[in-house]
Amino acid sequence: MPACFVDGLAVEIGPPDPARNLTELIFQTVRRALDDAGRDIDEVDSVVIAAHDLVDGRSLSSMVCAPAAGAYLKDEIRLGDDGAAAFSLAAARLEAGEARCSIVAAWGRASEGDPDAIARALFDPITEGPFGLTELTVSALRASQWLGRHGRNGSADSARAAATERRAAAASAHPGAARRLVAAPAGVRPPAAGSGMASPPPAVGAAPWPLRPGELPCWADVAVAMVISDRESPVRVAGIGHGSEPYSPGDRDLAGLPGLTLAVRHAWPSQRAPGDVDIAELDGLTLFDEAIAAEAAGLATPGEGLRALAADGRINRSGGSAAGYCAPAMGLTRIAEAALQLRMPERSTHRYGGQSAPGDASDGGADCAPARSARWALATGSSTVAAQTHTAVVLEAQ
Amino acid sequence: MAIAGVGQTPYRRAHADASTGDLVFRAVSEALNDAGFDRGDVDAVVAGVAPDALAGVNCIEKSVIGAAAPPGAPFFRVNTGGATGSSAMLAAMTLVAAGRADVVVAFALERMGQAVTSQQVFNTIFDPIYEKDFVLTTITMAALRASLLMARYGYTERHWAALAARNHRLALKNPLAHLHRDLTVEAVLESPLLAWPIHLYEACPMSEGACALVIAAGDRLPGRGPVAWVHGAASYSDSYAMGDRFDRPEGTLVDLVTLRRAAEVAYRQAGIADPAKEIDVVEIHAPFSSAEVMAYPPLGLCTPEDGPAYVDALIDGDAGGGSGGGGPGPVVNPSGGPMAANPVSATAMIRIAECALQVRGAAGDRQVDGARRAVATGQGGATQFSSACVLAAEPPGGP
Repeated sequence: MPACFVDGLAVEIGPPDPARNLTELIFQTVRRALDDAGRDIDEVDSVVIAAHDLVDGRSLSSMVCAPAAGAYLKDEIRLGDDGAAAFSLAAARLEAGEARCSIVAAWGRASEGDPDAIARALFDPITEGPFGLTELTVSALRASQWLGRHGRNGSADSARAAATERRAAAASAHPGAARRLVAAPAGVRPPAAGSGMASPPPAVGAAPWPLRPGELPCWADVAVAMVISDRESPVRVAGIGHGSEPYSPGDRDLAGLPGLTLAVRHAWPSQRAPGDVDIAELDGLTLFDEAIAAEAAGLATPGEGLRALAADGRINRSGGSAAGYCAPAMGLTRIAEAALQLRMPERSTHRYGGQSAPGDASDGGADCAPARSARWALATGSSTVAAQTHTAVVLEAQ
Repeated sequence: MAIAGVGQTPYRRAHADASTGDLVFRAVSEALNDAGFDRGDVDAVVAGVAPDALAGVNCIEKSVIGAAAPPGAPFFRVNTGGATGSSAMLAAMTLVAAGRADVVVAFALERMGQAVTSQQVFNTIFDPIYEKDFVLTTITMAALRASLLMARYGYTERHWAALAARNHRLALKNPLAHLHRDLTVEAVLESPLLAWPIHLYEACPMSEGACALVIAAGDRLPGRGPVAWVHGAASYSDSYAMGDRFDRPEGTLVDLVTLRRAAEVAYRQAGIADPAKEIDVVEIHAPFSSAEVMAYPPLGLCTPEDGPAYVDALIDGDAGGGSGGGGPGPVVNPSGGPMAANPVSATAMIRIAECALQVRGAAGDRQVDGARRAVATGQGGATQFSSACVLAAEPPGGP
């Protein structure tokens, strides 16, 4: 593919910040990404954003948010899709010669609305609504199907526990993310910053069976921005692929994600294999979504996804959805995490809830730090409905 | 690259007898048949759906991917408000130009007939705290601009009414149009006042329907019939705050700075120096007759100061194809424009579809004789997002 490089990035994952409104959060994140890239806004000729109206709480939210993302009198387009899809379209603009430097931004504030209520609106109100389907309940169905197929022996349960433990540890080690967030059960708002609340145990019954509280996402307010261009930088975009699943959960094999497999296959350069990956940042709503994504991406054989999450140090060093989650920002967050890990030990200006990034000299973050020789990274992003559409991005350290 | 196929459902207040999948399947099937492709040829899908709340289902487009492409196909969903349809087309073009795909289906879908009232939904595009005191709605937003145009350039209420009557008359030849009304200027002026100076018949209707385009790389065209070649396309985005746009150096609130910039780029790509002479058809995305005149100067049809005289000439048949097809210069809105049908998500794509049909000589009773080059506009947000797309009968560089 034509040259496309990651110039700069910034990620904010944290609890609600009552001192900033959404446009301020977006503006500051984009500004930090530009600063990270050493770019002035005048050098940017494209803006691609990902946002959902129902998450933002207003129709056509890009009216007010696009200018905050740097789109004033520029060629801008908004996707109502995952941020990884926005990254892909922005890269395509570069590949097509339509732009030379693009901002990609995505955001979502879980504190602004009930994620379950928003998810319920994804399903047909007549034929599916009465079943109470949400993104989380479909994930539970997925877990149930996976366990039915692969979880009949005792080792699966120990792998499940180990994966949960490692995921939580990675998220805790991740500067500023889970450590500062309450591990709130789905649908429950985390407390405001500075409330002084310790992390309470999730409410009984908050996790739809067979999911357990520790396997759920940690709802957060997330804003992420990247600057990509045709100017050479330490991280190159080596491949991008897409895939999709049938719409109806009943039409899918929920224990697999063939659309993601397709996306990863298309993204990998032809001379490389998914097994060559040094870093994998996989988007998934819950532990089981991440495990199935690992299998679909070729990082684990079917049935071994949980064990891979527990033991494979390449996968989700960031803590994945346990470190903070809100659609549609997560795919771009995974790409930014992968790029950050590839370019370390360079100092990054990105911020996690006000704390330093991994790689800063002052930060421990051992579990977040990849081997210095890491060259290939895979990042994935999945979108509604219940991981129906996928984007896979392969990055290469230069 | 070219638009190889066009498919449209009829546009109606509500398609009570058709599911969302029915509408998309119908439009996409028609477009693929028109192009000479089948679903197996489709490399990617770009869907255009504007505010989810209009349909009452979040991400409704996801339920109909299978109506447009084979299983597993790459999929993107665009939402740029009123400009959604043209933005989807531009995104599809990007995928082809980047070499990511050879054949892309772009469809735009509107199900706003499911909303009890679209205005309540549209009101949520404005700030719920700072702007509610101004009773800001999509209608009062347009009325603000109309009154500014009257004060600055001398337009009158009669201009708005006569333009509306002209558009409705042209729509009589468009079987897909939602409204078929033969209105006099007086009838328009006597229709209920929505917000001064805008009357009911000067405003677009609420419409449902789907539009689909098949965009293909030049070397993948089946070669079984004329196509609409893409000669230029661009889009620009502006500030949200209307107060900031009143008298800034880049242009005023009624100057449509973004459309001017988009048209400049598209014309440059197409090698057009004098659009008033070199373009045969113009399809303007304007949901109010008063908004339509804001597009004339950016498209190079007249200067802002000459706008009222240009409208007079349009109405009298001395320019722009007149009310029935005569007059010099590009024919403006031969389909009747958005006043005849306004399925919000699809309206901007319909403008492109109509231009594609015109340059292919396939527009039926609304065909403009000898149309070889056409420009379509898209408009969204608070006149905030603009696009321009130039299509022609011959490929770039000639046959």
